[in-house]
Amino acid sequence: MTAAHKESGHTHQAPIIEVRGVSRVFPGVKALDNVSLSLYPGECLALLGENGAGKSTLSKIITGVYQPSEGAMIVGGVNVTERGNYNIGMAQEMGVTIVHQELQLIPEMNGIENIFIGRFDRKLGMVDWKSMKRKAEEIMAFLGADIDLTVPVKHLRTAEKQIIQLAKAISVNAKMIIMDELTAVLQEKEIANIYRIIDILKKRGMGIIYISHRLDEIFEVCDTYAVMVDGRLIHRGKVADVNKDQLVEMIIGRELTQVFPPLNENIGEVVLEVKGLTADRAFRNIDLTLRRGEVVGIAGLVGAGKTELLNAIFGSYRKTGGEIRINGQKVNIRRPQDAIAHGIGLVPDERKQLGLVMHFNITHNTTLASMRKFRRKSLLMDHRREREATIEAAEMMKLNYVSPSQSVSKLSGGNQQKIVISKWLLADSDILIFDEPTRGIDVGAKSEIYKLINRLTREGKSVIIVSPEMEELIGLCHRIYIMFEGEFRGCVSGEDKTQNNIVSKMLGV
Amino acid sequence: MELELEKRRASNKSLSQFLQEWAILFIFIGLFVISAIFVDGFFTYTNVINIFRQISFLAIIALGQFFVILVGGIDMSPGSSIGFFSLLLAGLIYWNGLPIGVAIVVVLIAAIVIGLVNGILSVYGKLPAFIATLVTMIVLKGVNYLYSDGIPISGLPSGFKVLGAGYIGGIPIPVIILIIITLICWVFTMHTRTGRSLYAVGGNEEASRLSGINTNRIKLLAFVIGSVLTALGTILITSRTMAGQPTLGDTMLFDIITIVVLGGTSLSGGRGKVFGVVIAALILGIIDNVMVLLGIGSYWQWIIKGVILAAVVVIDAHSKKD
Repeated sequence: MTAAHKESGHTHQAPIIEVRGVSRVFPGVKALDNVSLSLYPGECLALLGENGAGKSTLSKIITGVYQPSEGAMIVGGVNVTERGNYNIGMAQEMGVTIVHQELQLIPEMNGIENIFIGRFDRKLGMVDWKSMKRKAEEIMAFLGADIDLTVPVKHLRTAEKQIIQLAKAISVNAKMIIMDELTAVLQEKEIANIYRIIDILKKRGMGIIYISHRLDEIFEVCDTYAVMVDGRLIHRGKVADVNKDQLVEMIIGRELTQVFPPLNENIGEVVLEVKGLTADRAFRNIDLTLRRGEVVGIAGLVGAGKTELLNAIFGSYRKTGGEIRINGQKVNIRRPQDAIAHGIGLVPDERKQLGLVMHFNITHNTTLASMRKFRRKSLLMDHRREREATIEAAEMMKLNYVSPSQSVSKLSGGNQQKIVISKWLLADSDILIFDEPTRGIDVGAKSEIYKLINRLTREGKSVIIVSPEMEELIGLCHRIYIMFEGEFRGCVSGEDKTQNNIVSKMLGV
Repeated sequence: MELELEKRRASNKSLSQFLQEWAILFIFIGLFVISAIFVDGFFTYTNVINIFRQISFLAIIALGQFFVILVGGIDMSPGSSIGFFSLLLAGLIYWNGLPIGVAIVVVLIAAIVIGLVNGILSVYGKLPAFIATLVTMIVLKGVNYLYSDGIPISGLPSGFKVLGAGYIGGIPIPVIILIIITLICWVFTMHTRTGRSLYAVGGNEEASRLSGINTNRIKLLAFVIGSVLTALGTILITSRTMAGQPTLGDTMLFDIITIVVLGGTSLSGGRGKVFGVVIAALILGIIDNVMVLLGIGSYWQWIIKGVILAAVVVIDAHSKKD
């Protein structure tokens, strides 16, 4: 095992990279404080820490985006900090690559073009497509992936795009890859494929730094871990020697007692009833009920139609049949305005694209869906009341902020999510629909979101949740509907809410 | 630590943000002072009043363009619609003998229609705003020549002159109208729900839609406001020149877009200020005026203005990176 020899001062292998006592200071902030770390061939290292702990700064030091303020970067035995010309291009040349969750592909270009962009093979001054096609196919065969490389990548699924990104990294003769939240938007089956690829890369002697907020994954693929807190690397060890709770404790620097608060027991009458809801191609014949104070989950693979269903209820996806009743009344929801008027709010999966206006400040984002409440008789906006309502909501959300007029773009994912939720509280929404509420949010902030959802139900709100994280659904929901290829395949509650039960139905078994 | 970071960012921001936000004002003041000191004939009452009057037409039209760019669009139609409004106004008064007030109302209705056509093509027809408004511009160009045979319509009653050339208390009427329009636009954008929605739609259309804003209606409205303000500016120009001219807008579109961008409006939408646009119009007015006073030929003026637009767009692109 590579992991075993690495702690024991192995003599026969030199590290691929070594970070030696690196600090990085930004005006007024020490983002990295004396961090030392090395990565050996065949090692998969989990880099853990909350958002803002310094993981991305460290990644940027390693890939040459930033230079250390103190300390040095050693790549392949060469002190590149001393040599002084280490930048992104140089890092790539030396085999240090990074693959982000955010896709760095050009949507209109096909797989081959994306893999070799900037380094096209030439023959007689012309691009040599044949040779590139052959090489690309070799890489795909090596990764054991079967992806159409001749169509524009925008037509591919996210998981396929990420494999193309990996292929791109490998094609430059990478010695190591930083995988930054690569799996955040993937489903279990596709994640398993990434694991398989990581295994292949490890066997080939490549080093991997694996960044993910999903701790379960760490135990699947990583050999070693490093935990960062406040810019310092404080724990380092073998994954085999720890369990999940210990890791969580290291990451948030305290014990995480009771991640999921007890379910609200005060369930009232039915507030939302969906009957036979159908949308061509996306889903068919969906029946769903939601009671006051209840949390209902929807589990399913990607492509099962979950997001489409949520959006159809919210009026932003076209439905072709069925009906929706709110508090017993049949309603006609054709646009988000209609849903909002009936007390429904949607917390979408893509916070930055769908939830917030990124250069608006906190106040303007918080009141975006409820502006009419802050209108005076003169039709002008009452800025003071807007501000007061925002502060009130922010206090209730325990939002970590400086001023209601600061921009939301610099806030952490958890804080941004709280603003999206506040938006619906101000809009007097009684039914809150969450599409992957904790995507890209770190462990500590996740449990805060859980508590928040729980508190909302205690105050009489009702919640629908879609999440790829089974544990989250089981811990938060009273009942979980299971969706398979556009249909509900059952509903589990109480004792039956087990991972096995759900997963087997999710796979259509 | 994260909180610390955010706090520092916030406090650092306030000063640099203030300077950045009002950079355009300092540029204007600097330019004005330098011109007053170094350029003969600049700092006289007549010249300064002249600059203000000259920019007021263009500034009103640029404010219209501002709304379209604010929601993430662009309006090419003023290239011909300016000529169209001026011909229509002159034609209605001179050929059809309509009272001035009625003719103005008809022109404004025509402006609403053109704005609606632009908006419907772009919003519901899903054409890119650039193409939709280019179509309108080209069609209107043909209409202009059909309507006028390519000949200016002059001989308007002298009573019409007062709008563009008159004074109230020593201040030109177009300037007064500009000030009123600016104030209305400012209140509208900063203090009304619809104004906020314009910024929201330009900043993130999808998030706005999911927050219950009728994004199509907001975009349509921006095109209509754009067209109506273009017509208002044109009415004043027509009154100043006392003629309807088919080619009136041909060279103006460039200045209009320069002013809007120079005023700090982001070409990708969602950012910009009404006062920025007006001050930018003043800056361009001073540059024009100084070039004339210094005897720089009009061919060179075009080159210099082109360079200014390029520089402004480069700055715009860089400021967005942060």
